[in-house]
Amino acid sequence: MDGTSPPREDWKIGVDIGGTFMDFCALEVNSGRLATLKVLTTPDDPGAELTTGLSVLQEQEGLAPEAVTRFVHGTTVGINTVLQRKGAKLAMITNAGFEDVLELARLRMPDMYSLFCHRADPLIPRDRIFGVKARLNAQGEETTAPDAQSVATAIKQALASGAEGIIVSFLHSWRNDAHERLVKRMILEMEPSVFAFSSSEVWPVIREYERSCTAILNGYVHPRVAGYLEALEKRLEQKSIPAKALLTKSNGGVMSARDGRENCVSMLLSGTASGVTGAAWLARQAGEDRILTLDIGGTSADIALIIDGAAQFGTGEMIGDFPLYIPSVSVSSIAIGGGSIASVDGHGVLRVGPTSAGSIPGPACYGRGGTDATVTDAMAVCGWLGHSDLAYGQLRMDQSLARNAVGALAKTLGRSVEETAQAILNIALSEMFVEVEKLASREGVDLRDFTLLPFGGGGPMLGAFLAKDLGMGRMIAPRRPGVVSALGGLVADLRGDFIRTVFAPLDGQLGSDLQVLFADLVEEARAWLAKQGHEGAAELNLTAEMRYSGQSYEVEVALKQEWLDSAEDIAQAFHNTHARLYDFADPTGQIEVINLRLAIVGAGPDPDFPVHTAKPCKVEPQKTVPVFTGMACDIPLYQREALPPGAQLKGPAIVSQEDTTLIIPQDCTATVDPMSNIVVRFDGVSND
Amino acid sequence: MGFQMTDKMTLRVLANHARAAAENMAHTLHRTAHSAFVKETQDFTVMLMDRRGDTFAVPMELGATWYPGLTYGRAIDMVADYRPGDIAFTNDPYSGHVATHAPDTHLWKPVFSDGEIVAWTGGHIHNTDMGGAVPASLSRSLTEVHQEGLRFPPMKLVREGVFDETLMRIMETNVRKPELNIGDIKALVGALNTGERKVQAMIQRFGKTGFVSGVATLMDQAEAEARAILRAIPDGEYSFADYADEDSNIGNPCRLHLKLTIQDDAAVLDFSGSDPQLGSSLNVPSGGDPRHTMLLVGVYYVLYTLNPQILLNTGLTRAFTCITPEGSVLNPVAPAAVGMRSLTCARLRSVIFGAFAQAIPEKMPAAPAGNNCIVNVMTRDERRQKTVIAAVNPVVGGGGGMPHRDGTNGSGADAAYLKNTPIEITETEVPVEVLKYGLATDSGGAGQWRGGLATELSFRVFSPDTRITARNRDRSKFRPWGTLGGCSAGLAHMVMNPDTESRFDLGNQDTAVLQPGDVLTIRSAGGGGRGDPYLRDPDRVARDVTCGYVSSKAAQSAYGVVINNGVVDYKQTQTLRQSRSLRDTMFHFGAERNAYEAQWTDAAYDALTKALAQLPTHWRFFTKTEVFARMDGRKGAEGVDAALAEIEIRFPELAELLNPASPSCDT
Repeated sequence: MDGTSPPREDWKIGVDIGGTFMDFCALEVNSGRLATLKVLTTPDDPGAELTTGLSVLQEQEGLAPEAVTRFVHGTTVGINTVLQRKGAKLAMITNAGFEDVLELARLRMPDMYSLFCHRADPLIPRDRIFGVKARLNAQGEETTAPDAQSVATAIKQALASGAEGIIVSFLHSWRNDAHERLVKRMILEMEPSVFAFSSSEVWPVIREYERSCTAILNGYVHPRVAGYLEALEKRLEQKSIPAKALLTKSNGGVMSARDGRENCVSMLLSGTASGVTGAAWLARQAGEDRILTLDIGGTSADIALIIDGAAQFGTGEMIGDFPLYIPSVSVSSIAIGGGSIASVDGHGVLRVGPTSAGSIPGPACYGRGGTDATVTDAMAVCGWLGHSDLAYGQLRMDQSLARNAVGALAKTLGRSVEETAQAILNIALSEMFVEVEKLASREGVDLRDFTLLPFGGGGPMLGAFLAKDLGMGRMIAPRRPGVVSALGGLVADLRGDFIRTVFAPLDGQLGSDLQVLFADLVEEARAWLAKQGHEGAAELNLTAEMRYSGQSYEVEVALKQEWLDSAEDIAQAFHNTHARLYDFADPTGQIEVINLRLAIVGAGPDPDFPVHTAKPCKVEPQKTVPVFTGMACDIPLYQREALPPGAQLKGPAIVSQEDTTLIIPQDCTATVDPMSNIVVRFDGVSND
Repeated sequence: MGFQMTDKMTLRVLANHARAAAENMAHTLHRTAHSAFVKETQDFTVMLMDRRGDTFAVPMELGATWYPGLTYGRAIDMVADYRPGDIAFTNDPYSGHVATHAPDTHLWKPVFSDGEIVAWTGGHIHNTDMGGAVPASLSRSLTEVHQEGLRFPPMKLVREGVFDETLMRIMETNVRKPELNIGDIKALVGALNTGERKVQAMIQRFGKTGFVSGVATLMDQAEAEARAILRAIPDGEYSFADYADEDSNIGNPCRLHLKLTIQDDAAVLDFSGSDPQLGSSLNVPSGGDPRHTMLLVGVYYVLYTLNPQILLNTGLTRAFTCITPEGSVLNPVAPAAVGMRSLTCARLRSVIFGAFAQAIPEKMPAAPAGNNCIVNVMTRDERRQKTVIAAVNPVVGGGGGMPHRDGTNGSGADAAYLKNTPIEITETEVPVEVLKYGLATDSGGAGQWRGGLATELSFRVFSPDTRITARNRDRSKFRPWGTLGGCSAGLAHMVMNPDTESRFDLGNQDTAVLQPGDVLTIRSAGGGGRGDPYLRDPDRVARDVTCGYVSSKAAQSAYGVVINNGVVDYKQTQTLRQSRSLRDTMFHFGAERNAYEAQWTDAAYDALTKALAQLPTHWRFFTKTEVFARMDGRKGAEGVDAALAEIEIRFPELAELLNPASPSCDT
């Protein structure tokens, strides 16, 4: 090595794989050079797109593989395994008398007005669930010792059923995991070739259905995820990339890919969560602290809130039909996307969704065999789209195909093609409007205080219309909306979550217990962080899930370590949080501490992205294009790369770029900020 | 993006904005309410109403499923001079027929535009307690509405934004958990205010005229969708009856009878022939409203099942007319008690399902279990030295076999809104040991599509005089019926110390007192089967056996499938299945109901109904009970006539009422 050579290149790469594309976001830290890329996925040869993408970055952007110091990957392989029900064949061993817990779930069903309502088939069918005589009481004391014979029989039956893996879940293992450990050991002794997970090792939380379900999800995706990650690490090796692969997690952070092979359940929401992480990062850079993110893809739209610059967390996020009870970034999914199909029902009512043309065949205007009119086709008919190629030139748009598709509906309705297209857009927006209103009211926030941050292929197309409907004041459109999830991985922190269930009244005696549990959590968390290869400082975030006695849901309250000895401080924090979330507190109410939780954060890179000086300036449009907005008019079209920071635009206008089209409606103004975001204002304040 | 007047092209936009407002109200209430009734059981509603007080939008995910067709008009009219910021309320089941038992407190608020009322926001919460004779204000044994708690007829609760503290103090003084009531009512007020704000936003967006005409279009659309469904159903008369086990504590069966007449795109639901007004709290106070929402809940389920895209609002009730004779169980006269009307409502729904099953057999499922039993326990926590009152899991049964799949196990159909409590939470909070929480083998009605299995809950207690209530228990005498050759389902039961010498069957009782070490097992009914079980794929039956849903004995006896060592013996199965011809009888009721109806024939009920109709209301339940007491060894109309004759001798006052014209010397 020559010490006098110019500073070594230092590349950090975020890669996120979705349904159609693998997105790359690569940053050379010293120069601040940012390269983004989308590569079509290769479902027949998973991972090949990674090699392709890296090669393109090498050739076109000068990426030096040996200079890659960080490689973060987000993948849908886990969640797709669940959605497509292609996971491992599992068996479960549980307490006799409780074999139906999985099927009964929490009883309440969606679609409750239908006599045909039903729950999804559990991931482990009833004939592979085996009850054994063993029981702990709620204090964690053994009331029936595991009957060795009965356990051995159950294991034999489980193996005979052809199970690749066995989940062990016993009542009250959140309090005492002895029975689960014993049975897991017996399984591995009897048959070392199967894998086993116990519910308490995956996430030792109270509530048997939720804990079991979480452990099952882990086991269900384990073989596929582990196989995928192994192959990924091999490909990186082949490419001579020295960085150890990291994986984006449902909690918005990252972990080592090695860890992900066992701890699969933590990465089920990998991509959606890192999208929010990326959006939160962009928002912080832009000085925005209250954000509604809107990620519109082909089949769905994901929405999430960012408050005080941070993603919001929840438990019970749905993975397909199953709740995931580890802390995850709260993302609500709406079944409307660019590929959602419009139709006229038997009563002549125009509807949009929930069926989607997906990515194959996709909207009619993509010319890939689709004939149904989709939201994207409606956009094309109105003239908003089609002014440049899409997805880095990999998709081409044919407006006449869109007109044919929408025209068929227009004929049924007896209206013009443009009017019908406009109606399709209005309906699609109103479907999203319902879900966003639900999210806001559930969280008790007023969206008028929020800024919309749209991303994904469709977010910038529809975002401004939705933001106006919601009464929001502002929208901030990032420079590269197509790779926000990949960016999220690039900048994410290492983040591990740990839990101890307490379930005790909050009183003076609890303090010493909490101290012991806290010390225990800290030890576990630090060991985890060390295992990830992190050497720097760590941040510890302590929270407790608490409730008033008699309630059956908990509120997560941020705690300071020094409060652990003071029931009063903890109580006050709980009352305050409860009042903030639910508009009331009961200062005399008995409080229960259900769970103590610790999140450990090892800071990720905080790279400097280029910031420009933004001098207000006028820009000339490339041209005007005809657009239907209720009536025909000519609207200026801009190319995004031609808009310098400081550029000021007035709506209506279209900004075309390589990965999406940004629409600025009438009565709005927009400016390009120093980070190259386009900030759209709906408040009618003109910059002139 | 501009908007035209609402037409079919833009209808979904208005419908979505209306639903967004309703969902927003529901989440606001759910988030800010205090009581478990609202937070957990979700026994609440919120709605948007048109200027007349007819509901035009309800939430689809939160709250109860009974109220999309509720109309507040009558209650609205009982209060004068509404001003902006006013909120009116009532919980009186006999004023305006909005509230249907005293715990349900309904509120409504006008939405003004240019000085006139253009809409209302409204909703209800189920208060944990409204005072009266028993905690929670609900008991089957109560006999008049005055025992069921404090009642407020329609009046203003909030005047121009200011709460009426006098009313709040009266409520606080009279109820057992005032802080919950007040907390929940304030949360509902918050939700109504939210709704008002959202309606104002809609008016701004669509214009006042656009909004008003759009709302009318939404109703018209729902009506058109309902009528389209009816038009596709063959015209005809479809009669059906079903029974609640008891009409009062340890009483006689309670019969609900329906003659459904469908003609073109309209339907008449004639409930004549149903029981008289009861001397218990099982009455359903419809006020005789031909479109009362409580009478039509079963209809909502049918319509939604047939068209899951249907708009749920008052418009869809227009195609239906209900007939409920005054002084009957479905149209009681004050002061009949009504607190436990939800038990009767479950049976009311199965009567409606049974009538529609005849009209469109190819599209309807068999009977759901129909017993939504809520289990509460009051016991002593010896460790913590305190008395604990807590809800244990609801014990509900499966859905009926569907045209295309098995009935949902453990709940489903019209019970899908109920939620359970994790065993780990229950055992941590309440000193009970749960021995089993799961599905009961062979409890689902056999069929080509099997009925959903029943839930069974079994637990042990440790403290003396532990009191259990199992509200809404039913179906321990009359089975959920099977259809089209499918079999009826297993019965519900409640047994103390099963599998011991001290086993005690509690019959249809809904309370029990347990001593230390006692075990109580509560089982619901299952769902009815659909189609001849001999048509069920033998492999499916074998799978049911390995899953423990069906015993191998029942596989053979009910399904004709022979399983040896876990493997289907196809040859023997074929032989066995050929031993009888296939069945496609519309209904299978089970031995108990067949035996009952051998005595209590339709003609017997006609005779009884005719006699009771001649009597003043307060004589009817008494007379029914007296007739039942004299039916041993009798049957049919003749039996009823003979029993009546005996009663007339025993009670001359009754004879005069039954034969007003006859001179007394004639006897």
